[in-house]
Amino acid sequence: MNEMLFISMLSGAILSGTPLLYATLSELIGERAGIINLGLEGVMLIGAVVGFVTTVQFGNPVPGLIAAALAGALFNMIFAFIVISRRANQLASGLALMFCGVGLSALIGAPFIGRRIEGLSQVRIPLASDLPFWGRAFFQYDILVLLAIPTAVAVWWLLFKTRWGLSVRAVGENPTAAYAAGRNPHLVQYQALLISGFLGGVAGAHLSLALAHTWAEWMTAGRGFFSVALVIFAKWHPLRAIAGALLFGGAISLQLQMQARGVPVSSFLLDMLPYGLSLAVLILWSRARRSAVPGSLGRVFQGTE
Amino acid sequence: MDNVTRATGTVRSRRAAAVIRFGGLIGLALAVFALVLLAFGQNPLRAYADIFRATLGSPYGFSEVLVKMIPLVLTALAVAIPAKIWLINVGGEGQLFIGALFATWGALHFGSLPAWLLLPLVSLLGFLGGGLWALLSGILRAKGWASETISTLLMNYVAILLVSFFVFGPWKDPESANYPQSAPFPDAAVLPSLFESRVHLGALFAIVGLLLFYVVMSRTRWGLEMRALGINQEAARRNGISADRYILLLMFIGGGMAGLAGMGEVSAIHGQLRPSLSPGLGYTGFLISWITMGSPSGIVAAAFLISLITAGGDILQMTHRIPAAAIHILMALVLFVVLARRSGTGGKK
Amino acid sequence: MKNTARLILRELAILASALLALGTVVPSAAQAQEKLKVGIVHIGSIHDAGYNQAHAEGVQIMKKNLPNVEVIQVENVPEGADAERVMENMIKQGAKLIIPASFGFMDPALRVAKKYPEVKFVHPGGYKLAPNMGTYWASTPEAFYLMGIAAGKTTKTNKAGYVVALPISFFLANVNAFQLGARSVNPRFETRVVFMGTFLDAPKEAIAANAILDMGADVLGVIVDSPIAVVQAAEKRGAYSIGYHYLGVQKFAPKGWISGIAFTWGELYTRFAKQVMDGTWKSEALFGNLSSDYLTISPFGPAVSADAVRMVNDTKREFIAARKHVFAGPLKDNKGAERVKAGEVFPLQGIGKMDWLVEGVIGQPK
Repeated sequence: MNEMLFISMLSGAILSGTPLLYATLSELIGERAGIINLGLEGVMLIGAVVGFVTTVQFGNPVPGLIAAALAGALFNMIFAFIVISRRANQLASGLALMFCGVGLSALIGAPFIGRRIEGLSQVRIPLASDLPFWGRAFFQYDILVLLAIPTAVAVWWLLFKTRWGLSVRAVGENPTAAYAAGRNPHLVQYQALLISGFLGGVAGAHLSLALAHTWAEWMTAGRGFFSVALVIFAKWHPLRAIAGALLFGGAISLQLQMQARGVPVSSFLLDMLPYGLSLAVLILWSRARRSAVPGSLGRVFQGTE
Repeated sequence: MDNVTRATGTVRSRRAAAVIRFGGLIGLALAVFALVLLAFGQNPLRAYADIFRATLGSPYGFSEVLVKMIPLVLTALAVAIPAKIWLINVGGEGQLFIGALFATWGALHFGSLPAWLLLPLVSLLGFLGGGLWALLSGILRAKGWASETISTLLMNYVAILLVSFFVFGPWKDPESANYPQSAPFPDAAVLPSLFESRVHLGALFAIVGLLLFYVVMSRTRWGLEMRALGINQEAARRNGISADRYILLLMFIGGGMAGLAGMGEVSAIHGQLRPSLSPGLGYTGFLISWITMGSPSGIVAAAFLISLITAGGDILQMTHRIPAAAIHILMALVLFVVLARRSGTGGKK
Repeated sequence: MKNTARLILRELAILASALLALGTVVPSAAQAQEKLKVGIVHIGSIHDAGYNQAHAEGVQIMKKNLPNVEVIQVENVPEGADAERVMENMIKQGAKLIIPASFGFMDPALRVAKKYPEVKFVHPGGYKLAPNMGTYWASTPEAFYLMGIAAGKTTKTNKAGYVVALPISFFLANVNAFQLGARSVNPRFETRVVFMGTFLDAPKEAIAANAILDMGADVLGVIVDSPIAVVQAAEKRGAYSIGYHYLGVQKFAPKGWISGIAFTWGELYTRFAKQVMDGTWKSEALFGNLSSDYLTISPFGPAVSADAVRMVNDTKREFIAARKHVFAGPLKDNKGAERVKAGEVFPLQGIGKMDWLVEGVIGQPK
């Protein structure tokens, strides 16, 4: 029974954390290039609805997933144009993008309400999925869960081990200096936001295709917004984002488990757990490593103003 | 446009140019949305006429736009004030809720006091609630423990849950058949309304807040110091300006503004505390503040515009069967157009 | 690009002339005087496969039944400042009957009703009346009790779970009734309840559903905006499910479907509109039961035995004849305190005051 409890907790954490991880990585790439996008919520909604609608049309979630990623990338280009080419305020533009995503996704999704899809199903990995305990805990998930951590590693590799990543970080630190060094800051930022939108679309698709198997208006329920916080939590590092997403997903899972077990605490107080825990860990973390004190967000922000 | 303003150079013509530019932008946004309306098979002409009639075209409609503006101006100030030294306060929503929570406690606890005493007390509590909630984030920031962006955002969720906890639990109105709401405010704790409309005394908070904000920023030493801090914290620090003190102070005052917004909503609009207190007023205030870069007149203009679109959107749903989703798109289009303008001032800010 | 610019210019020209011509525009309300305009205010989207869609479909049926009725509706209206404005604007557009279709619209509606005594209001689920404002709802606990009987007879693990939006007394009463119904046929039955804190978070609902199933439950019920996510999660894991608000959800659970409850407002709204048109409408607190045409129980799924269906139908008849009561004492809450004494009955009209969960339900009522 304890084993079952552990697996249940863990799978809840992984499932809650996966869309958050994709969303956090999405936001992180943009912020590394110096652009904060509060409109990720909108990008995710577009991904969720386009993924669902395409899956309905094709009867298969694979085209849905691809379409969601592309739609997210395309939609994010609206934001890119406004903040890069038109140099508009990023914070306000992000919220405008969110409004747009909320409205547009609702319009696209309305005719498909109540349609049934075969969502992303569990992937069976030979051997691994059949392991008695570890198999159930770690290897019986849909493809997006299994690819989540590899994606984080890939983003890390992209940002820290490639020339392109160096450009992104250089532009994010100081676009003027990057320009002087022969880089094209605008081009790099457009590329970063394209990839960011791609991942944001995937994050949305995981909600509609793998978790809920349905489309509902504003089904992101603040996850995109929250990912902005997770990026700060992860200190702009893709691998730490894994820890952040898991911690937050774990807190959600824990509070659901506690409720279902009848722990005698108000569900409203239990619901605070993920937020309180994130804040507590953040504070402890920053005290342990004072040198890494945030404040970079202001720099990120001013760098492009 | 730039050349024109520079050539004439007088304040008045620059203002006129700004007004013309603003009007032109709105016209462009309306024109773009007209295409959306056409796509829905609607006559944009009729649609805009209907909106105009129901909002600005009648005293009632206009008063309702003002009602909508009051909390938005206050939550925009909650963001704009700390933003003067580059603090990003995403927590207007939570500060609004805690302000309402404190105000409700005061209204229900001291309900027997006369209005002239109770109203200032409840307002003060509202300010204090929002202010203290924001101050927590200010402390975390000043100590270097957590950026205010993340802590204010996380504390929004906590604040809303806290209000839910109280109205579902200890403060639940026994008369309300167990619906999640507090007991109604006593009459003495309800902000009086003005001119036979729903425009309430909270408008005064908004106006005074705006004026003080403008005067302090442009006419006082504090304003100068804050601008210095906003431009270069290191240099300011060397000149003996304490950044920490301003962080705490501005977060407190900013949060207090959102708290006043919450007090106004709970007292004058709802008349009792509910979890559905605010449809994201704090976030809309954030948007308004950043879209106008914290300029007082800009805040008024943007709050007006957004209130107008919200009220007008309802009319479009009623008279032209436009779904609510399309109103979101209208809002976004207007914002995009306003945001994507070439800033004519040439300056960075 | 050039074409777009031309279009924009043309629109601007039209707009300018529109503003000039504003004074001469004929008010649209005057054209439709013999018709009844009904205004309905929705708290959420009318495409939610749930609570709001049920209301929206209700007014559509009313419109079909009564060609003389015109509907104006506004969706996504938050409680608070906006609700009153929307209702008042509907009245200015000529609406004579207003349906503020969410509990939270009660006080705003009451204020507007006071201002416009000639306009009628019908409000779902409230408890305040005015001379021109009535309420309507149906006693869902009886229906949930029947669901409980079916679940109690069908379950193999004797454990069920309910995914519920918020600990509102109506919802607590429904879960209690479900548990009591199940216990009446299965003394070892227990129900776990998990609150979402919101009506709209399908991914979280699915994760909560899985957590409950992991604890050995094989029946899942749901009280949120739309039941789709939870019913699907149950079906995927081979568990049984019970729907709410949206009858169409049955197709998501071809194997595990037990049954579901939904409001079907069409005929009731038709009656309201007719009464307003012929002047017979009067303010009342309408509280329907299992025999009302606006509380519908969907067909049972293949998993429910004929025996169970017979028991459900027998009990249903008892309820309709008022020979049986859902909350008949003795009842203890899940902390062991006695809530209803033996021989007494907790009245269905009073479930607004129910703030406890009955013995056998695992969860926190606050």
